Amino acid sequence: MGKSKTHADQKYIEALLNNDTIVLKEIYEKFAPKVVGYIKKNNGDESRAQDIIQETLIAIYKLVKEKGLLLTCPFDAYFFLLCKRKWLNELKKASLKEVTINEEVVSINDESIQHADETLIFEARNELFTEVFEQLGKTCKELLKAIFTIKSMEAVASKLGQSYGYVRKKKSLCIGQLTKMIQSSPKYNRIKNLL
Amino acid sequence: MTPEEKYELFERKINGELSAKEEGRLLLIINNDKAIADEFRIYKEWSSYLGSNLNLMQEQSDLENNLKEIGNAFFTQKSGEKKAKIIKIPSWGYAVAASIAIILGVYIFTKSKPTYNDFVSIPELSIIERGVENEIINNAEEAFNSKNYDKAGKYLSELLKNDETNSVYLFYYGITLIEQNKSKEASQIFATLQKGSSAYKYRAIWFEALNQLKQDNKDQCIELLKTVPKEAEDYTQAQKLLKKL
Repeated sequence: MGKSKTHADQKYIEALLNNDTIVLKEIYEKFAPKVVGYIKKNNGDESRAQDIIQETLIAIYKLVKEKGLLLTCPFDAYFFLLCKRKWLNELKKASLKEVTINEEVVSINDESIQHADETLIFEARNELFTEVFEQLGKTCKELLKAIFTIKSMEAVASKLGQSYGYVRKKKSLCIGQLTKMIQSSPKYNRIKNLL
Repeated sequence: MTPEEKYELFERKINGELSAKEEGRLLLIINNDKAIADEFRIYKEWSSYLGSNLNLMQEQSDLENNLKEIGNAFFTQKSGEKKAKIIKIPSWGYAVAASIAIILGVYIFTKSKPTYNDFVSIPELSIIERGVENEIINNAEEAFNSKNYDKAGKYLSELLKNDETNSVYLFYYGITLIEQNKSKEASQIFATLQKGSSAYKYRAIWFEALNQLKQDNKDQCIELLKTVPKEAEDYTQAQKLLKKL
């Protein structure tokens, strides 16, 4: 995507990062009606649409925060595609067999599909990682939380009353343990080729 | 190479601390061993995930709350616009509407209005682990089960300080907030649980609906009840309440 130019709609991505109420309101006013229309046509209602929109915006925020995202397509296409796929996943989960999908003709380009795919895969990875982190033993969990929130290893070591060397070694062992846990997770095998 | 050495090498690579010689060695291992290459990739993903997610909690929850408010305002305004359109009825319509209103009024008057107390059934808190002595846990459980929700809330919030994503603590803390009429705070807690994948995901919807019922927010309560899925343990109660509303 290096060749493509960043789209002017990057401002919506920045708004999520900065929690900018004015621009966030604009997102709802400009882009929500299309999503609501689609969800209502496909077995949903406004309240479900509100949830899907919020979840989608949070998913984008998390992706941008961790990996960054330079939008090379209109936000509209990317956002709508993401909401749509999320809604279809919800329907699948609820196994509403009688569901018929009323497709709309939307102009979607390759870049918006690529952005949407990236976001969804990232979200699936995040869900799996969160789940696995919860299963980690208490000592490792607390150590990692301290390291990644306090940021200075020296400060963590003194807080825990341990040596710097110990904390450092333990950190790599704990992440190693998480790595092993992910490798043995059946869910990981489903998304591993996409990461 | 022992696993300890391997992970230390990964860690130092990520922190940019390897010498040229060590870099070469790692590259050789990764190129020749697919399993280690895979392991290194996941290790890097974990570092990136932890670095970002363990720091985001407050910021993310601020954004979530802001989006919720913007979303609520947007959707309320939207349905308000729709209602305004429906009001355009011919003059004889008012007479019909008035008659319906009287009939409905009598019906509603004679039909008892469901209340929070009719429907709430507070589960017992059981967090004391055998052999583990923790005074705050003991106090929280005792206060909650003897219906001292103010005290129980304080202990649970203390426990959450060290374990902020613990769904059991969050769920019972949410209940103590409803009981103390701290409706807004309770909503935030239940919203967090609804987004997660814990065993309290669906119970949180039901209790948030009860929270709204207690505050007389009938419409919000109805909307929430509609989202309680069939597999939820509160589904039957939710349907019962929905019918009454």
